Amino acid sequence: MNQLHNAFTLFLSLLVEAMPFLLLGVLLSSSLLFFINEKQLIAQLPKNPFLGAAVGSCVGFLFPVCECGNVPVARRLLLAGVSPAVAISFLLAAPTINPIVIWSTWVAFGDRPSLVIFRVLFSWTIATTVGCVFSIQKDVRFLLQDSFAKRLKPVKSCQPEPAQLISPLLQSGSFIIEQGQSLPLESYWSTTIAKSPTLAFKSKLQPFFDNVIQEFSELGGMLVFGSAIAAIIQVFVPRELVLSLGQDTTTSILAMMLLAAIVSICSTVDSFFALSFAATFTSSSLLAFLVFGPTIDIKSIGLMASIFKPKIIVYMLTLIAQLTFIFTLVYSYFF
Amino acid sequence: MILDKSLRSNSSQNKPNFPLVWIDGLALLSWGILLLKYAITGQYKLLIHPNYYGLVLGSAILLLALGMIKVKLILARSYGNSSEHISLFPPGFGSGLLLIVAIAALLIPPQILTSQTALKRGISDISMSSSQPQAFRVATKPEARTLIDWIRTINAYPEPDAYSGQPANVSGFVLHLKELPDNYLMLSRFVITCCAVDAYPIGIPVKLETNRRDYSPDTWLEIQGEMIAETIPSKDRIDSNITEQRSLVLAAKAIKSIPTPADPYSYK
Repeated sequence: MNQLHNAFTLFLSLLVEAMPFLLLGVLLSSSLLFFINEKQLIAQLPKNPFLGAAVGSCVGFLFPVCECGNVPVARRLLLAGVSPAVAISFLLAAPTINPIVIWSTWVAFGDRPSLVIFRVLFSWTIATTVGCVFSIQKDVRFLLQDSFAKRLKPVKSCQPEPAQLISPLLQSGSFIIEQGQSLPLESYWSTTIAKSPTLAFKSKLQPFFDNVIQEFSELGGMLVFGSAIAAIIQVFVPRELVLSLGQDTTTSILAMMLLAAIVSICSTVDSFFALSFAATFTSSSLLAFLVFGPTIDIKSIGLMASIFKPKIIVYMLTLIAQLTFIFTLVYSYFF
Repeated sequence: MILDKSLRSNSSQNKPNFPLVWIDGLALLSWGILLLKYAITGQYKLLIHPNYYGLVLGSAILLLALGMIKVKLILARSYGNSSEHISLFPPGFGSGLLLIVAIAALLIPPQILTSQTALKRGISDISMSSSQPQAFRVATKPEARTLIDWIRTINAYPEPDAYSGQPANVSGFVLHLKELPDNYLMLSRFVITCCAVDAYPIGIPVKLETNRRDYSPDTWLEIQGEMIAETIPSKDRIDSNITEQRSLVLAAKAIKSIPTPADPYSYK
């Protein structure tokens, strides 16, 4: 009973520390999605695959979204005609390379600055590399899931009126229902509301607010799961077992990568989860958790399946897992 | 207003989910109340580093505000249309989970970490390497040093014999270590870097004139005495090997039982 109460306290401690960052992440990602004009952004992206991937990895700074938020954004980017190099590197890097995640990592691991720095560096390198690798395939549709690829084609051939050709049920983005038709919110603003500034502001509030509630509820639910798993492992798994796994260089990295894939905790707050293993696991394995977790986990695979073919997801997973393993292994010899 | 009309049409579609819309609002409000309670009662200190007090209080206010807006919107019957979102959970699941956790947390207060946790995490007197520079800022008078000050001092200059004969007056909770003889106990405290999850125990071995059974684990003591250097068995944190080590030991002269302090942890 005492042990259970202890686990509950640790569980609460994780939640209370993570809640402000989760809230901040949700508020920012909801607001910036409305304030940044994706079309203008796309027009300015470099065409060269390497530069595109390198820049795509940094776009996360403009869209501070974690794993759940970045898939809809990446889908919109692909639909808008962005190259796969940019979209994939954005998808992989955005959950790590954004101000809130860097801040929360700093709060958790401020006493080990190298973890914070290399988390960003490794994530950026992996995202750029994977983005470049997939840019070799010129025909985007080969990468994409059939139903998604079909939607891509009409968009490319008939740029001016995409909303008319695609079923509104399949389209991502926010919509306004107007005279029996659903219109994308962005075009609705630009045509109807932009003329009156006060109305424009009011109309943005409702979708902004709905997005906040939706993401908070979903990511919060995931956070509850992740925190519960961390607390249970800390209290109920024998210390000898954890230590024997956590002190060996290779097994500790592999164990933390597996844990990252299973736990699926949001990248904004995953540092606090990793912190509960800081005393028993090697630094390099914590780094592996922090780099691998935001890119691939059960939750994000589920979301990515709505864009990519299963085969492509397997390629990505293998590539990212190997790169993470090699990078963190090298790190373990230097730090 | 065009917008109002369009929102109305949404709300009529979402009507079957009526109880679900309340769960979102209640989850926000309950978390706002919980964080506010922790901030006001000071219980947040049992969970996280006091540096993040502002974050907790700010979040509490934001959550309460968001919750109230949500309730107001529900009462005004304008439900949002968020069907475009790719959802992993059935509607209301995440909020339901958050609501249940918040209610449980309001009913069950957080517990102070005990000696059991300390034994599991492994007591240490040397792992504070990163805070060494602070050692130079601690009170120079030995009897004014707290337990954590002593550990910092030892870390800055790890030569037990150098402190022999210095008076000491420290408080902490009792920990029984199997590897130590019966007339020794460990006087400990937890140190928090970020939150309770990373709390680790530090401690100084105390030499008693009686058996340590007189002082049961987890009781809080204030001990006055004199520092001595002795060779005592110590267990390695990683491989659990017991080796004889020259350590700083507090020879107790006066032992007083004290109530558990309101903020039982030390903070880094």
